[in-house]
Amino acid sequence: MFWLQLNRVIGYWPVLLKGIGMTLALSALSLLIGVVIGFAFGILRAGPNKALSRVVGLYVDFFRGTPFLVQVFIVFFILPEIGIELSAFTAGVVALSNAAACFIGEIVAAGIQSVPTGQTEAAAASGFTRAQQMRLIVLPQAIRVVTPSLVGQFVLLIKDSSVVSAIGLLDLTRSGWMIVQSVPNGLLVFGIVGIGYFAICYPLIWLSRRMERHGQAPIL
Amino acid sequence: MIEFTNLNKWFGSLHVLKDIDLAVTKGEVVVVCGPSGSGKSTLIRCINGLEPFQKGRLVVDGFDLGSSSVRLRELRMEVGFVFQSFNLYPHKTALENVTLAPIHVRGLSKAEADDRGRALLEKVGLADRMQSYPHQLSGGQQQRVAIARSLCMQPKIMLFDEPTSALDPEMINEVLDVMVSLAREGMTMMVVTHEMGFARKVADRVIFMDRGAIVETADPESFFTNPQSERSRDFLSKVLHH
Repeated sequence: MFWLQLNRVIGYWPVLLKGIGMTLALSALSLLIGVVIGFAFGILRAGPNKALSRVVGLYVDFFRGTPFLVQVFIVFFILPEIGIELSAFTAGVVALSNAAACFIGEIVAAGIQSVPTGQTEAAAASGFTRAQQMRLIVLPQAIRVVTPSLVGQFVLLIKDSSVVSAIGLLDLTRSGWMIVQSVPNGLLVFGIVGIGYFAICYPLIWLSRRMERHGQAPIL
Repeated sequence: MIEFTNLNKWFGSLHVLKDIDLAVTKGEVVVVCGPSGSGKSTLIRCINGLEPFQKGRLVVDGFDLGSSSVRLRELRMEVGFVFQSFNLYPHKTALENVTLAPIHVRGLSKAEADDRGRALLEKVGLADRMQSYPHQLSGGQQQRVAIARSLCMQPKIMLFDEPTSALDPEMINEVLDVMVSLAREGMTMMVVTHEMGFARKVADRVIFMDRGAIVETADPESFFTNPQSERSRDFLSKVLHH
C-alpha cells in the first residue's frame, strides 16, 4: 500500500517540480526586492530624521504585528476594491517582499546603530557627505554584522511563502494539496513537501550558522 | 587662521565653554591642557564643526562657523582631525584608510591618491604595513595611520584630541615623533595633550583650561616652570609628579 502510494506521488513529479519552481521564484524575487527596500527602510529608520524614522517604524511595526496570511488577503482581495488588480503571483510577490522589507529593515537599522559613532565622526571630519559616510563607511561594516541574521531571516520568509498557496498560487505547498486529492495519504504527501522546503532552507541555515560561528561575513 | 571671539557653548544647562577668546596664527603650534572635563576636547571639536556652539564667533581659515551658510565640508577638507581612539575604518587597509577621502572628497584619481598615501605612510614609518588592516596594527601604528589619513587631504590645520592617551607607554613616542616633525615643517596645529615633553619641544604656546574657561596662556617654558594661576599650579603638580 505504502509503496504503491509513494509510486503514485512520485508519478506527480511534474506538479511537485512546478511547485518547487514557484516557491523558489516567489522567494528569490521577493527576497531580492525585500533586501533593496529593507535596506532603504533600515537607513531611514536609523537616520537623523526623527519624523521619517518614526513613520517607517510605525509602518514596519504594523506589518510585523499582523499575520502574514491577513497581509496576503489585504493585497489580493482588498487592493482590487480600490482599483489595484493584481495577479496571484504579483500579489504574492508584493505581500512577501513587503514582509521581507519590514523584517530586514529592522535588522539593518540595528546593524547601522551597532557601528560606533567614532566612525561617522572620523568620516565627517574628513569631509565625506552623509551619503558617502553611509555608503563607504557605515554600510560595509553594518552588512558584516547583520549578514548572519539576514540569512536566518531569509529562511523564515521562504517558509512564509507557503501562505500564498491560500490565494491559489501553485507553490510547493499547493502542489501538495493537489496531489493529496488523488493520493489520500497526507502524511506521505506533506512529508515529501516538507523535505522539499527543508532542501531549500537547509543550505541557508548552514550558511547562517557558519557565518555566525566565524563572527564575520564576507566583505561585499 | 583660527579665531575664537567670546565663544560660549552649553550642553543643556551645562556651560562647557565660557567666553573663549583665542587666536591661532598660521604655522603656530598650540598645546591645550587641563583637567578632564575642562572643555579642551570640546574646544578643538568646535574648530571643524564636530560640536556646535550657541554664542560668540569662530572663524577658521576664513570660514565663519557661526553662520548658517558655512560650507562645513569645504572647511573640513582643510582641517585634519586626529582622535584619541584612532577611529580607523576597520574594513579598509591602512593604505585605503589614507586614500579614501582624497579619492571621494578631493576627487583625486586612485593612482594619484595611492602615490600620495604611500609617501605619507612611509613618512610615518609604516612602509611595510600598507596592506594591513587596522586590527593587525598596534595602537601606535594605528594612530600613525590616522595621522597620515588626515595629512593625505593636505590640510592647512591639524587638530589632535589626546592622540596618545589611549596608547601603551612604549608607543607614545613613535606618535609624538611624527607630530614633532609635522610641527617643525610649519603645520598649524592645536594639540590637546598632557605630554609636557612634546609641548616643551615644539609648542609656541600652552593654554590651560579649567571648567570651560581659558585660565592661563603662556609660552611652554614659563608655563611649566612658573605657572601663574593657582589652578594650573595644582594641575601641574598632579600631572608632573605621578
